[in-house]
Amino acid sequence: MTTKSIVDLCLSLFVFVALFAKANGQDAQALVEAAVSYYRGEASISTVDMTIHRPNWERVITIKAWTKGQKDSIFIILAPPKDNGNGSLKRGREMWTHNPKVNRVIKLPPSMMSQAWMGSDFSNNDLAKSDSVIEDYTHTITGTEIHDGKKVYVIKSTPKPEAPVVWGMQKLKIREDHILLSQEFYDEDLKLVKAMTGQQIQMLGGKLFPKVWKMQKSDVKDEYTLLNYKELMFKQDLPDSLFTLSSLKNPRR
Amino acid sequence: MSIDVKMAWRNIWRNPRRSILTILAIAFASLLLVFMLSWQFGSYDTMINSAVKIHTGHVQVQAKGYKDKRSIRLVVPDPAEVGAILEKTPGVAAYSFRTNAFSLVSSKERTYGAIVIGIDPVREAKVSTLEKLVHQGNYLSAGDTDQALVGKLLAKNLLVGLGDELVVLGQGRDGSIAATMVKVKGIFSSGQDEFDRSTIHIPLKYFQDVYTMYEAVHEVVVLVKSLEYVPEIKRTVAAGIENTNKKGHLVALDWMELMPGLIQAIQMDLVSGFIFYIILIVVVAFSILNTFLMTIFERTREFGVLMALGTTPGRLTKLLLIESTTMTMVGIVIGIIGGSLITWYFQEHGIVISGASELMRQYGLAERMFPQLSVLSVVMGSGAVLVITLLTALYPALRVRRLRPVEAMISV
Repeated sequence: MTTKSIVDLCLSLFVFVALFAKANGQDAQALVEAAVSYYRGEASISTVDMTIHRPNWERVITIKAWTKGQKDSIFIILAPPKDNGNGSLKRGREMWTHNPKVNRVIKLPPSMMSQAWMGSDFSNNDLAKSDSVIEDYTHTITGTEIHDGKKVYVIKSTPKPEAPVVWGMQKLKIREDHILLSQEFYDEDLKLVKAMTGQQIQMLGGKLFPKVWKMQKSDVKDEYTLLNYKELMFKQDLPDSLFTLSSLKNPRR
Repeated sequence: MSIDVKMAWRNIWRNPRRSILTILAIAFASLLLVFMLSWQFGSYDTMINSAVKIHTGHVQVQAKGYKDKRSIRLVVPDPAEVGAILEKTPGVAAYSFRTNAFSLVSSKERTYGAIVIGIDPVREAKVSTLEKLVHQGNYLSAGDTDQALVGKLLAKNLLVGLGDELVVLGQGRDGSIAATMVKVKGIFSSGQDEFDRSTIHIPLKYFQDVYTMYEAVHEVVVLVKSLEYVPEIKRTVAAGIENTNKKGHLVALDWMELMPGLIQAIQMDLVSGFIFYIILIVVVAFSILNTFLMTIFERTREFGVLMALGTTPGRLTKLLLIESTTMTMVGIVIGIIGGSLITWYFQEHGIVISGASELMRQYGLAERMFPQLSVLSVVMGSGAVLVITLLTALYPALRVRRLRPVEAMISV
């Protein structure tokens, strides 16, 4: 074989690999976007029981949530009665919280965004930046698995260089019908910090959807937070007026 | 007095200028050491006491794990029980109860995360300097409810002044949302930026109400009468807890565990101090070695004569050692007396340090420092000088044994 043909071969191989990687990247990106828009829908209304479990303590909060697109959402706490009416509004990357007792709206400062929401294993960021995984990360498919007879893509997501994120890496498992099965969060040293898994996939709001979501930190055994969808409705649209501070202060029940 | 001692004494005063200089070098070294050590120990006492009085206290009783996790659910469920133990413990100057919760504190314009601390206004005044730190407005009084003391830097960040309202939003012990509105009653400034930037104080009863704490608290803060009682009191309290039904759940922690940074700062300072002392002692040792060696060279002829007359080398060594020991002792005694007098003067009057370093300020160090004269500070430095000087004197004293009488006599 002449030197030229070797160079040619290498070159074509390189081009092939580059093309493949690019295609793979696009595939992965499309897959993640599809999964996010699948679970968020155009707009949705849901009622969720959030169970915060600790070794010698457990608490259940009932939340009603409205979401629109990939950026706006509003949560109002329905139960326990003591906390009834407390709400959080999220628009883009910003978040406000409202307490009926003192009747004041507080904008969460950036330093608080990594704090736990309502003492759960979800941080404010987890809630406020639910579309961040699309915008701030680059995705590659690292493998496929078979779950319940369906193909599942394993996707490695690494943050873009300038992205304002706290994670060093995320790993997503997305089923071929775009259902997000799990999301793992890794720190800068690529050590697993916490993981969210979807369970009990069933018909909800007119499509297959994991009814229960479990968020668990990796370093503790007996601590987790469950999100259990009581009701879920997907809508074509919701009025913009729903996602405003005045709506946060006077929530529709 | 034996003939040797008499001879040694006369030999010393044969060259009074040299001897006096040697004695003065020794005296100065031990004077400096006595003063410096007293100063160092004194400043540590002041440092520790003023640092613990800002907030931490000498000893605290907490739930196990609270120190690291700071979870609102890790509580001392029955503080009165711990109080009863403390009442019976001798050496306890005062104690108080506190609760803490990380919360959002929001003014009209801004929101910050801060630690909200519930304090018993009357008891708190006895364990910490908080009452004196309030430089604007007033300290909390016994019946206050929705009033707050805000750190100076936090108040500045939140853009609030006296009488302004603050919204406090956090999470209660039962996981519920704790929200309340408080009025700024006073603004405090401790000099510890971290403390002034991140804390607000509200009355304990009100805190327990808002955060659904019932009777529970997070910390029982103990101030002791004197620093040396700390280990003893910590033991007594720990033993007292063992006898309650909360055994294994509560722990007693001393200031070293509560403020590891402070003890590290002290250790660092101590090490750099010791390096300085060692250098000082080495310098003194060389000057003394020089004097003693010179003595031998100058007196070679004399030693030769003495040996020719039948003086044994051992006796010569003994003679030289008596000379050096006498000079050392005189020097050290002068040093100790002088050093103690100077230290004692400043112990009474204090030394004003203007522009204390940032590190000191951080631990709330007073501007006026008092050295602390103690047996340890007197004995340690002068003891080191004594040992080093005697070791140094040993060399020339042993060297003299090598002299040959005839050769020695013909040298100048």
